[in-house]
Parts: sequence; structure tokens; C-alpha cells
Amino acid sequence: MININTDVTIIGAGPGGLASAVSAKLNGAKKVIVLDRNNWLGGILPQCIHDGFGVEELGKSLTGPEYADLYITEARKNKIEFLTETMVLNFNKNLEITAVNKKGLLNIKSQSIILAMGCREKTRWNIMIPGDRPSGIFTAGVAQSFNNLYNIRIGKKILILGSGDVGLIMARRLKFEGLDVLGVVEILPYGSGLPRNIVQCLDDYDIPLFLNHTVTEIIGRDRLESVKIAEVDKNFKVIEGTEKEISCDSLLLSVGLIPENELSKEAKIKIDKNTGGPIVNQFFETSIPGIFACGNCLQVYDTVDSLSKDAKTAGRFAAIKKRNKLNREIKVIPGKNISYIIPQKIDNSCKVHFTLRVKKPIEKPIIKVKSKGIKFYSKQLRFAIPANMVEFDLDIDLDEVYKNLEVSIGD
Amino acid sequence: MKDFHVAVVGGGVIGSSIAWELSKYDLNSVVFEKECDVAFGTSKANSGVIHSGINSATGSLKAKFCVEGNKLIEPLANKLGFSVKWVGKYVISKNEKEAKELEKLIKIGKENGVSGLKIVDGKEVNEKEPNISGYHALWVPTAGIMLPYEFTIALAENATENNVKFLLETKVSNITKKDDRFLIKTNKGNFQSQLLINASGLNCKKIVEMLEKPDFNVYPCRGEYLVLDKKYSNLINSMIYPVPPKKLGVLGVHLTPTIEGNILIGPSAEFINDPEDKKTTKNMMKTLLKEAKELLPSIPNDSIISAYSGIRCKLASSEEGGWADYKIYESKINSGFINLLGIESPGLTGAPAIAKEVIKMISRHIDLKPKKNFKTRKFMRKRFSEMSSKEQEELIKKDENWGRIVCRCEQITKAEVINALSNPLGAKTLSSVKFRCRAGMGRCQGGFCTQHIIRIMEKRFDMDINEMKLKSPNSNLFYGRARNLEND
Amino acid sequence: MIEQEVTCIICPIGCKILVKKDNSTCEIIDGFKCKKGIEYAINEALDPHRMLTSSIIVINGKWPLVSVKSSKPVPKNKIIGVINQIKKANVKAPVTSGQKIIKNVLDLGIDIIATKSIEKL
Repeated sequence: MININTDVTIIGAGPGGLASAVSAKLNGAKKVIVLDRNNWLGGILPQCIHDGFGVEELGKSLTGPEYADLYITEARKNKIEFLTETMVLNFNKNLEITAVNKKGLLNIKSQSIILAMGCREKTRWNIMIPGDRPSGIFTAGVAQSFNNLYNIRIGKKILILGSGDVGLIMARRLKFEGLDVLGVVEILPYGSGLPRNIVQCLDDYDIPLFLNHTVTEIIGRDRLESVKIAEVDKNFKVIEGTEKEISCDSLLLSVGLIPENELSKEAKIKIDKNTGGPIVNQFFETSIPGIFACGNCLQVYDTVDSLSKDAKTAGRFAAIKKRNKLNREIKVIPGKNISYIIPQKIDNSCKVHFTLRVKKPIEKPIIKVKSKGIKFYSKQLRFAIPANMVEFDLDIDLDEVYKNLEVSIGD
Repeated sequence: MKDFHVAVVGGGVIGSSIAWELSKYDLNSVVFEKECDVAFGTSKANSGVIHSGINSATGSLKAKFCVEGNKLIEPLANKLGFSVKWVGKYVISKNEKEAKELEKLIKIGKENGVSGLKIVDGKEVNEKEPNISGYHALWVPTAGIMLPYEFTIALAENATENNVKFLLETKVSNITKKDDRFLIKTNKGNFQSQLLINASGLNCKKIVEMLEKPDFNVYPCRGEYLVLDKKYSNLINSMIYPVPPKKLGVLGVHLTPTIEGNILIGPSAEFINDPEDKKTTKNMMKTLLKEAKELLPSIPNDSIISAYSGIRCKLASSEEGGWADYKIYESKINSGFINLLGIESPGLTGAPAIAKEVIKMISRHIDLKPKKNFKTRKFMRKRFSEMSSKEQEELIKKDENWGRIVCRCEQITKAEVINALSNPLGAKTLSSVKFRCRAGMGRCQGGFCTQHIIRIMEKRFDMDINEMKLKSPNSNLFYGRARNLEND
Repeated sequence: MIEQEVTCIICPIGCKILVKKDNSTCEIIDGFKCKKGIEYAINEALDPHRMLTSSIIVINGKWPLVSVKSSKPVPKNKIIGVINQIKKANVKAPVTSGQKIIKNVLDLGIDIIATKSIEKL
């Protein structure tokens, strides 16, 4: 057993782990270790070879690998230790981590832990697509890794299910590679990725976007041969007679991401059912004191810029050894039109950075923050759609808030 | 042309059981399997239940082989190293009317020689199964569970260790009888054999037709399943069956825990035309979940991680009532042609007993001399996640690949994947890896591990990416390289 | 003069801006909500450019591909040509992020630059 004592241990060397690690070091943590299960650093970034990273944060549009390299360089400069090909097996409420790598079992004791495990992709069975079980069905991220990292061509005639950013990016990528991208199928009446990607990935290359459609059957005994798609009504029920069969050899699934919290659940960290991630306070501390969460395992972020900003906050407070005792804790409640809001609780008077998602597109939206029915704060936004996380800052004085804050959005 | 004593068509659980029995004797035996691995037909796509014998008509071969086989499974598991768990079964009745059916079942069971059966009341059921409610239940302690693919692989790999040849991706296209030899034509060459065993499952009629006129029909009957996430494993402890329903359109779905901690919902029963039509259907998936929730209301909606279907080889049509006994016999027209037809449930349980019966039939033709150097290899592949810390550390010291986890959901190491790919059958598909070491069977369904397994196949086993398959001979995963070096 | 609808990508609203254009001039008709949108729509209608990202095969590297990008946005009508040059190219490991792999591709004054470092095998 290899025994390690650290100040901060971070699980995951993706953008969340990297940003929080650097922040923890810069805010006084002496020994910071980052564990990652792969033999590279950067998590998902090395396979995201497209640009668009860092636009808000740095004023430049970098590719995924370049963005990762910036943080990795900064991390190395600050003597942050990386243990790669290292898998965390479990951790407990006493902040003891058991991990394993080629050198053996590791027992890591830390003052703070930052969870940055990222997320996994929804599978065919999460949305129960019936039909045969041939080869040729990939989640978009896996197809991306084969194409961009391993120099493997995954198919010739591609259909993509889901118009989220990953699916759109892959549509363009595979079109560049000379593959026949037949279209993107989207169940909603609007594309769920950024408009920039709809334009630059689909419109630019005349790749059709089948809105209000879903995949109803997969056909192919050995390799995928065709896929049936059909139109749906506003309740997402298939409209009779609209089914058509599209001949293809590959189906890429871009149907949603699930924050990866198996370790968190085993350690009995409280999870928010709406985000899929841990319930956190304004410093991104979870229900276990000393364990913080950031990145896509906390919530699925739209841009790495927002993700890094919150991750830095998590790192900053994970570096603090002596924590103030809890005075009070107020809950932040998602009200009308809000799917979820982070943080879910506040236990310190300070400026709080809120991130939330709305349930449906809202024109001329106004954020309202209420305490005991009394309006506390309100802000007019230009627009609000579920695909775009809404962020705002608010100074919170616990003495001024009654029991909880209710945040809602109306038009 | 290679001359064999015995040729077996079909590498499912029946063919593999027979092969293992054959491997104990001084014989040249061969198994022709058309898929890329053993068990890839119906043998891997069932509930994995070791039946007690209460479900088979008294006096039938099904009942006989089920009860005999049931007793042989545990010693076989200990010998060959596959997992078995005697979780027992509750057949639940909802009311007094249904409870009468339980009386019928217990009677049949006792007539078939099944021991330990008893009827218990709902309260007793609730004590052992807090999430299940019912009026009365039949408790069947001799019912158990296994992993049917693990069982088949253990038999086949042990047979291989003892020199039975398994020819994978080898499909029999024609058979003729010349003098005392069967001439067998396959896509991998021609062979001849003294005896021919037809254990080809759904293709059993096609094989018979190559030599004689069949006096039976095969009626494929598809059963769909849903697989629940392991995190719900504590919802039930034993198998939970409802009383067989009389209402049309009601499946009477079973809930079966698996060795690995998943729960299986199913199977359905749908007569189909095409024996290769293994698709899952929207209708059945919905019905399975609906009926499962009636038995077990605490099943969450988002608990399904996978779905699959298996096809039963029935010898009676839906109109005929869908029940027929096994046909296990030596052909009167072609001496030495032994047929195993219609081996549906309880075929998994009956396999060891059926194999012994086939050996008896073979012994009438050939003098069977036991092998002096017969080896038994405890097939059970070590699972890192089940070892103690001390064992884990020792293994990593010996071979660092035990410290590299490539399947996060099931905590499977690189060493286990390499071990799986090094199997004596030479099976190298992604599914072959999955069924031997479990990588890819978790909730992310290969989202993380697939790229790592492919890398191991490429680098360690020198496999060409164009040859990499998911499961069947034509299920290629890839279409070459994204970039190639152009010759200047 | 022909009419064209341009979807603005400056911010996530994605206004659909209607313009009227001929070969050298462009007039905004409707649909914009801010100044940045006007500027974008005119550029997009008259002389659209795109940043290109792709990958180039690596000889003797720890990874078989290096991700690359164009040093500046590429005229839209030259994208396919540039991609074809990228597909034909190769580079020997080690590769350093920022290294110019193809200089002045298709004489456009644009380089194709590595966006990650690849060590030698």
C-alpha cells in the first residue's frame, strides 16, 4: 500500500480538475495532487480538436488541446503532481481515498478533495431505442475519440441523433473526413446546440436537420443497415404515417450527458436529482465537509469558460484549511420555469455566483429572487433557452434572508 | 481430409457440454460453430436460470433431464470454476384463485422428484422479500442462477484444453453419408466423421434436411429481456415469478437476479417467422417494464441499462399450444446421426445430463477409453474487484496490468482483458471480451472501456482494425483509417 | 441584388439577419438586434471565412494523429481545398504545439499549425 498525504487531492485531470488544482495552489495549498484514469491529461479536451474554447475567459478562440495545455503548463509550473492511469476505487467521509495504478494500491489522506470526474454519455438504452443490436452504433464522444485520437474511421454513411454540440461538432468533423453525413435528428422543435454550431456545422455543409423527429428503430443484423425515423408531436409521441427509413452504416448518439457520480453516491454525498451532481454551497462544497465538486460532474456546463470559473472558486476554498463554523444555512429553491440552480444552499455571507437552466425558451425573461415572498433582486435578460446556462452574481447577507431564496424566471 | 470420431454441429451450451464429456475420452472430436464464439446463439440470451423441474410435464424428457441436470450443476461448477447461486424462487399468487395454481405446481414438482417445495403465506414472503407482496407463494429452494455464457465458455474452453477442436466462424453447408463416414462441407473446408451430433439449436431442421426428410418443424419463439442497473440489486433476493397467467396479452414476466447483481425482467414469448430476428421491440419493452412494476412497484423508470432478446427453438406452434418435448434420438435412416431437437427451457439446466445421455448413445458405436491425462482447468477468471487488498497488491507486483483499470463501471483491469483475449478458443470479438471479463456490461455500456479494449487488441494482439468485430462474423466495427500515409 | 438570410453567431440569440447583396456591396434590411450583428452579417454575406481545425498523420509518434488549426480564418470557398492539403500531409514526431506543419497552404497566406505536442515513440 502506497500511503500519500496531501493538502488537496483532485479526482480528474480534465478542465475542472486542472483549473481547480491551479487555483488551489495559487490560494495557498502546499501539496496538490491530481489523479486521472487515462494516460493523458486534459480529460476530454485532447479529442476536442475544434476551436471555441476560452472565448469569454481569454478573449481567444482556442482548440481543446490548446486550452488544456495552458492549464497543464500552469499546473506543472506550480509543482502540481499528476498521477495518471490511476483509478479511484472509493473515498469516504473521512476524506480517505483508495486508488489503484500500475505501482499498486494507493491510500491517500487529504485535507480537501475536489471531485472533477466529468460526465458520461447517455446510451441507446437510456432512451430505449428498439430494434437490432448491430455494430455501428456509437455515442458521439466515443466516435470522436476513435476519429481524432486513434486515427480510426468509424463508418461511411452517418446519421446523428441529437443536435447538442457534441453531435453537431461530429457532423462537421466527419463531413471533413469525407464521410457521408446524412443528417441530424432532433426530437425538439429547435436545435439544442449553440446557434454558432448549427450554422458552422450543419448549414455550411448542407447537412439536414430533422427537427421534431426521433429514431424509432435500428435495423441491421451484423453492421447497421438502416434507421427508421419519424416525426413527433408536441408531446413527443410519434405521428402515425411519418416513419421513413434511412439507409446508413453508423448511428451517432448525442442524446445527453450524465454527470459521473458513482463515487460520490458510494460515499453518500447528497445528490441533486435535477442536476445529477452533488448539492453544493456557494464555495462548491458538498454535503461532506472538505469535499468539493466542480466541472461536469457537478452540472453539465455549456462552455469550458464557465466551468473553469466555478472550478477556480472550488479550488480556492478547498485550499482553506480552517473552515468557519456554520452559522446558518439557507436553501436556494428553483422556482417557476427553473430546472435547477447552483448553489443549492448558502452558508456564508458573500458574493455568490449563480448558474441555472430554464425549463423552456422564454422571451424577454426576468430573473426574480425572492425571500419569504419579498422580491430581493431582479434582472432583465435578453433571452433564456434551456441550452444556455444563465449566470448572475448576487451579494448575499445571511442576516437579510429569512429561510430560503426562491429563484424564478418569468416573462 | 481430417477424419474425426465425433463431429458436433453447434457450440452452444448443448454442443459444449457434449464436447466436454467427449474430451474425457481418447477420441478425435470437433465442434463446428458458425458464430465468432461459443454461446453466441440462444445459449447466452436467456435468463440463466437453473430450473428445479416444477415447470415440466411429468414423464417428459424435459422433466427428466432438468431434475438430473439440476443435481449435476453444483459439482460441475466447483470443478470447472463457474458461478452458481442457489437463490431459490417464489411463485407468487395474488389471490385465492391463483393460489390453486400453486397447488398444481407443487404436485407436478413432487411427481418429478423435486425436493424442498413448500407453500408459504404472503407475510413470510414479505420477510424475505420486503419489496414483494402477494397472497401465497410457492417456495422452490432448488432453483438457482448462473451466467449461461460463463457456463458454456467454461465447458468449451475445458474441452479445448483436452484437445477437442472448436472451429469458430465455421458454418456447415452440406452433409452426405458415404459408407460409414459423414462428409461435412463447411466454409472452412471439408471434414469427415464417424458420428455426427446435431446440436445446432434453431438451425437443427436445416442440418437434418441435409441428410434426410425431417418429420418436425421448428417454430422460433422470441423472448425479450430488460436488464436493470446493478444499484437496484437489493430490490429482490430470489427469483420472483407470478403464477402463469391465463389472460391473453399478459406475459407473466419474471424477475430474475443475476450473479453480477443486475435484475432481468422477462422473457416475453412471441412466435416469429425468422429464427435470426433478435430485435427488441418498443411494445414488448414497454409491456415488460409495466408488468415488472406490478410485481415490484419500487423499480424506477430510469433503471434500465440494456435490453436483449433470445430465440427459443420450439417444436410446437402457437396453435398447437407451443409445448413439445425434446427430441433426442439417433436417426433410424442414418446410423450414427444423433439429433438434439427443440432444446428450449430447461435446456441450460438439462445440458450436463443430456450430454451424458449422448455419450451413452455414442458408446454404442465407439469403445470409449477414458483419457489418462484428462485435465480440468478451473476456468473462473480472477476478478480484481473481488479480491482482497493483499491479493490485489501481490498481483500488481507480479504484473502491473492488474493495476490498470480499463472498465470503470465494473472495475475490470487491463490484465483481465488480456486474459479474456488470450482464450484457448481464439475468440477475439468485443463481445468475447465482454462475456469473459465483463468489461462493457456496466451502465455506461462501453462508453469508457471500448477505446481501451480496441487499443489492447491493436497493440498487444496485433489485430488489424478492419478485422475487429462486435459479435457476428460480419459485424465489423471500423472502416479503415481516417488518415493514411500516402506513398510519395 | 439578391437577398440572403444570415444567422448571426456573435451571441447565443442567433438573430436571423436579412441582407441584400451583390458582388461588392451589401445592405442590411432587417433582423439584427445590435451593432456587432450588422458587422458580422455584412462580412458573412460578402466574404465569409471559417477557422479550420483538423488532424494530420504523424510518423513515429506516441499518437498517430496531431490536431491542427488554420493560423487564420479560411475563405469559405477554399475550405475543401485546404482540407485536401491537410489530408495529404504528414509530419514526423516529435511535434510541438504551435509548429507550422504546412506553410502558406494554397498560397492563401495561411499556415496549418499543430495544436498539441506529440512525443516520439
